[in-house]
Amino acid sequence: MRQPLSARLLEFRIGSSLLKHRTCLPRQLFTAAGLAILLAASAFGEPPNPPPYYAIQNARVVTGNGSVLENATVLIADGLIEGVGAGLEIPADAWVVDGAGLSVYPGLIDALTDLGQAQESEESGASGRGGPAGGMPELLGPEDRPKTTPWVSAADLMGDDGRVEKWRSAGFTAAVSSPTGGIFAGSAALIHLGETDGAGPVLASDVAQRLNLDHGGFGSFPSSLMGALFYIRQIVSDTRHYSDSHALYAASPAGRERPGYDRALEPIGRALADGTPFLMPAQLAREIDRALVFGEEQRLPLLIYGAHSGYARAAQLARAKTPVLVSLDWPEAEKDRDPDADTPFRTLYHRRMAVTTPQKLIDAGVRYAFYSDGLASPSEFFDGVRAVIEAGLSEADALAALTSGPAAIYGVDDRLGTVETGKIANLVLASGPPWAEDVEVEAVWIDGRKYQERKIEEDFDPPASDVSGSWALTMTTPGGTRELTAELDMNDEGKVTGEIEGQTGTTQIDDGRMSDDLLRFKTTRSMGGRSMTASWSLTVEGESLSGSMSAGPMSMDISGERTAVAEAEDEEDGEEEEEVPLAELEAAMAVYQGPVREMETFAITNATIWTVSGETFENGTIVVRDGKIAAVGTDVKVPSGAEVIDAGGGHLIPGIFDAHSHIAIQGGGNEGSVAVTAMVRIGDVINPDDINIYRALAGGVTTANILHGSSNPIGGQNQLIKLRWGADAERLKLEGAPPGIKFALGENPKRSNFRSFRIPQRYPQTRMGVMDVIRQAFTEAVEYRRSWEEYRAARAGGDEPMPPRRDYKLEALVEILEGKRLVHSHCYRADEILQLLRLAEEFGFRVATLQHVLEGYKVADEIAAHGAGASTFSDWWGYKVEAYDAIPHNAALMTERGVNVSINSDSGEEMRHLNQEAAKAVKWGGLGEIEALKLVTLNPAVQFGVDDRIGSIEVGKDADLALYDGHPLAITSIVQKTFVDGDLYFDRETDRQRQATVDALKKRLLGDDNGEDEEEPSEEGGSEPEPEVIWQEEIYSCREIG
Amino acid sequence: MRSTKQCLFLSVILVLAAAAPALSAESLAIVGGTVHPIVGEPFVGTVVIEDGLIAAAAADAEVPAGAATIDATGLHVYPGLMDALSQVGLVEVNAVPATDDQAEMGTYNPHLTAATAVHPASEVIPVTRANGITHVLVTPEADDDGIIPGRATLIHLGGWTIEEMAEPDTSTLVIDWPGVVTRRFDFRTFSIVESPFKEAEEKAQKAQNELRDWFDAARHYARAHAGERVRAERDLKLEALAGAIDGDRPIVVVAQSKRDIEDAVAFAEEQGVGLVLAGGRDAWEVKELLAEKSIPLILGMTQSLPRNEDDPYDRPYGVPGELVAAGLKIAFGSGAGGGFGPGGPHNSRLVPWEAATAVPYGLAEEDALRALTLWPAEMLGAADRLGSIEPGKIANLVVTDRSPLEITFRLEYLIIGGREVPTTNRHRTLYETYRAR
Repeated sequence: MRQPLSARLLEFRIGSSLLKHRTCLPRQLFTAAGLAILLAASAFGEPPNPPPYYAIQNARVVTGNGSVLENATVLIADGLIEGVGAGLEIPADAWVVDGAGLSVYPGLIDALTDLGQAQESEESGASGRGGPAGGMPELLGPEDRPKTTPWVSAADLMGDDGRVEKWRSAGFTAAVSSPTGGIFAGSAALIHLGETDGAGPVLASDVAQRLNLDHGGFGSFPSSLMGALFYIRQIVSDTRHYSDSHALYAASPAGRERPGYDRALEPIGRALADGTPFLMPAQLAREIDRALVFGEEQRLPLLIYGAHSGYARAAQLARAKTPVLVSLDWPEAEKDRDPDADTPFRTLYHRRMAVTTPQKLIDAGVRYAFYSDGLASPSEFFDGVRAVIEAGLSEADALAALTSGPAAIYGVDDRLGTVETGKIANLVLASGPPWAEDVEVEAVWIDGRKYQERKIEEDFDPPASDVSGSWALTMTTPGGTRELTAELDMNDEGKVTGEIEGQTGTTQIDDGRMSDDLLRFKTTRSMGGRSMTASWSLTVEGESLSGSMSAGPMSMDISGERTAVAEAEDEEDGEEEEEVPLAELEAAMAVYQGPVREMETFAITNATIWTVSGETFENGTIVVRDGKIAAVGTDVKVPSGAEVIDAGGGHLIPGIFDAHSHIAIQGGGNEGSVAVTAMVRIGDVINPDDINIYRALAGGVTTANILHGSSNPIGGQNQLIKLRWGADAERLKLEGAPPGIKFALGENPKRSNFRSFRIPQRYPQTRMGVMDVIRQAFTEAVEYRRSWEEYRAARAGGDEPMPPRRDYKLEALVEILEGKRLVHSHCYRADEILQLLRLAEEFGFRVATLQHVLEGYKVADEIAAHGAGASTFSDWWGYKVEAYDAIPHNAALMTERGVNVSINSDSGEEMRHLNQEAAKAVKWGGLGEIEALKLVTLNPAVQFGVDDRIGSIEVGKDADLALYDGHPLAITSIVQKTFVDGDLYFDRETDRQRQATVDALKKRLLGDDNGEDEEEPSEEGGSEPEPEVIWQEEIYSCREIG
Repeated sequence: MRSTKQCLFLSVILVLAAAAPALSAESLAIVGGTVHPIVGEPFVGTVVIEDGLIAAAAADAEVPAGAATIDATGLHVYPGLMDALSQVGLVEVNAVPATDDQAEMGTYNPHLTAATAVHPASEVIPVTRANGITHVLVTPEADDDGIIPGRATLIHLGGWTIEEMAEPDTSTLVIDWPGVVTRRFDFRTFSIVESPFKEAEEKAQKAQNELRDWFDAARHYARAHAGERVRAERDLKLEALAGAIDGDRPIVVVAQSKRDIEDAVAFAEEQGVGLVLAGGRDAWEVKELLAEKSIPLILGMTQSLPRNEDDPYDRPYGVPGELVAAGLKIAFGSGAGGGFGPGGPHNSRLVPWEAATAVPYGLAEEDALRALTLWPAEMLGAADRLGSIEPGKIANLVVTDRSPLEITFRLEYLIIGGREVPTTNRHRTLYETYRAR
């Protein structure tokens, strides 16, 4: 029993060409010599080499160019399609294949995969650098070029890959295979999925450069998404500089310093010169936006992969003429999730909408193709295709996304992708579309060579019993027993599908068959980079089973019991299930994430209006036109036709400005690896989906300064945003605001309190070191500026010198020196505050704001004299040593001494009641009410250089307003309405309706998923569920960490 | 020059920190203020204090001869406010382990008492009481996998020693409910990650059964030691646990999620012990159950973010009012979860505003005050001594210019144990020192 099973395993592993030789193999090989030897012997035996002429007759030909030919013939000769049509003459030398009842399709193409690569030997550099190699990770900076192997070409990685045959037998004839690991992972190759002899499988090498936005926690660079984005930006810039320098040198080498050779920049330079697309990951709408902005900025021809939110960004992709690879690994509910855990509306929405992406892309005219995205088997891939078809995509369009679509994107549509004369003979002969259920693929041609799995004429007996249901299995291994679970589903004929779940994960069942009482199936999984197929043979007796599983030379005994009979499937199609119409969903999403109302000219009357810059008008009126404040006062005439909002005696204040926030950041708020990260930009990673934007609006906030964390003496660039909830990241950004940067002093940059978090230590460890790092950086910046000045002077003088390398880090520091970039420095202790002020004076710039500045009250005079603003907490103290002298009187006392002071939140929660935090300055230190309100409105606007637009209620300023139902400093007052640019973004009344709409809709959507939700969690713990992190809240605070 | 000044004020702080004595033997009368007795309507009148206790509180109460008086005309007199679950006194600076005595290692520590580690000279104490907090339930925190962190004690925020501060017969067993935890914060990626439910559920079930074993063992231990011939060796843990659950004292169980709360309620019922729930983030989901069983709650910080992104933005603000409307008695504890950032006892002084935050969202002002005074005293079995202005109760009183629910209220006088306590503290001293710079 055991040996024939092993033989089957082998034929699966090595390929169909061995089929015929199966019986010739000495049987001892399977039991003794082991799999490795067999795998090494990649070409034993000798397959026949028939003449390369075929004629497929009487078939339905789905050409893939729009036409379908019934009862037609396809002629193949020397690897090419020689003819397609009805009534073609069959050459005498052609091997005639009868296609009656079958259809010919263009061979399928997986548009992005790692198929065909030798499974054992990946170039170690590809993903090896930058990761922890046991113990503390080595601290790398961008100059170490972490995760950068653009020279790795998938074409050079081709080798033995047992998975290829599985995909080929499902109808896949070509694929774009790419190195996977690293930010610059390497270049992809278009390959054939045929046997790898002679010329090898590569059709075209270097068809794309693969990018990943890899980043980790506080380890090496890059530790954040913004770090990864900067890194790509810098490398692209370096490449252009490299190419220019070499060109310059080649043109006139005399008297020039010779530019060196750079292994990494060479292939990127070639890609840029050739217009090779860069594969850029982007799954969610905000990621697509980010990719498009980045691609345009860097003039990079992008090929976006992922694209599940393509449904929301089809127009933008069309406008950018950016093609897209759509992952077929559709979002779905996590397994073994807490049944009490909430699933966000947006997650449910995304699950429903994602599969509509292909149609939306077609409608918008975006070129796209499907790809497998790590799906382990063709059956999962086809599940993904069927999901799109169920969502409305036509079969023809699905075929295009698997054939002509990818061919066109990779520029090989002149030779691949359709069944047309002259094209490469990549064909599938099957009983129907290869993705459809119960379709049999008869044969596949690749490069004109026929691959046909000889059906093992096994006589299946009718199944003795129905094995459908849940099974608990025990496997006896040399290391003891292991518990597994199996979910099986059998059809009437005895075909069995399902999955096996063990401690290391879930594996799909292939080729499952119940014959009499014998259940047999295969499982394939990847172990240590190579795939391993196991064959199972189990005898079923009623509710128990026993038998064995063999994988290579190993065989393990299995026993098991049924734990649950499968539920009758028909119930799923019960009447209760309700498909929520997509239009209704889209409408609900617009309400969920968008302005409440875009306003025409309007007036708010009957309000106490705190202008904060001038008078406070009781029973005042304000008129807003075109998003600006048009009039304010007590005897203001409301323009005819203007909408009037009666404030009912409420209080209107300027929209609150939070001078220190870390909401709305994706992929890490700290580039916590190296000590100077002036080059990373929060603006690159704004997350417009963060629900905390809406919550902050409900607290009257209209503007927030989104800061890099405090892990570094010189951190990243901050980004001012207006809380235009529903807008994309670019439109959140406050237009025309002076750029800024975060600095940090004290315990955080010297990592005093994080030793237990296994964060690698680095220079600086003291306040001496912190100042030194900053001074060194500016010293370098001065040199850098001089090198550019000299270059420009030389050019002005008619020379053509070598251009200096553009350095994004030093460039940002030069902007500080030139007063173009505002410094916002995290600081606590009086001494470090003073040191920074003096250092700034030494280099000739002014510190715009001191952030937190908890001991600012001790050096208020010095701060005032320097001209720095101060942005502090209301009353937090004592959580670390440098906060031990924090006092709640800080804001009032600094104000008294002439410092411009603001109060900030540094917290998505406190952000919601900054008015209360301002009130604390009235309590502690006796600040006046208007002065207190300024702490969260006008003062921060002044600090950030945007008080010409926002911060107070004055004619001409932006209509950013918060309406309270009572005194704005009272804890009992609630924000009723918040306006940004004169549009209504929060309305307490409407919020209730919004809530009700979403709650009701969620109930219906979860009803849709009923079958799924009521499923009992599987018995075995199983693998870590991959969290379906879509809108994930990331909450950062400087109080705790960096 | 400056260094002398610095030294001087530091020593002043140290003296003031401790200068809040135990029950005073002297007489004191607060005259002319609006008295808010909590039980009954406010009135303008006099509160008379003798031997540390309230002797009289009435519009026409007579001032005893020789009594010191406080003129409270135009001011308000409230019972001292209580932080019903707190680590005040257990930590000075969170980031400095040397100053941190909040959580002992070990899973079951019923024999530990937080009061043992209270630092009477902690700077946190005067800072806290300067905002009207006169007593707290000082509570040990659970270590990572801790289940019984120890016992809590009601302490007054005044006294030279813990013996003067601790209120007798208020020792309360604390359990950090070993619930199902699938969400945790991952420092590597700085985001929330979820782990498999089944695994978490099994772990929780195992821990809960182990907790049951402890309760059974403690009762058995008590019986074994009650007999005449005791063979068993003394076991401090079991002895303490047995002592904590055999009388009328309730136990405090910290639980946040609906499932954990339900399990904790079932556990207390099964064990026949009185239950005070602490935390109670999702208590609104099971308010009927809690009301039916009359289980009081020590809520964490009201100023918290909603748990789920689809939750109403103001859900945490509305929870206290919703619970009270359902008939529950609530209190607020700075150490009962919620909030944001590192939190901890440094925020104990914010507790009045945690209550006040809930007022516009449905918590009646009177109930907010009850939640800061009478209700926590009741739930911890100390309402005979604390929580209202009534004759016979301990004179913990605050005299203010307006309701302490308002942020801008000023604390004019502070009376703990019948004696006026200075409101000076580290913050005010630093303020005054540097203001004079």
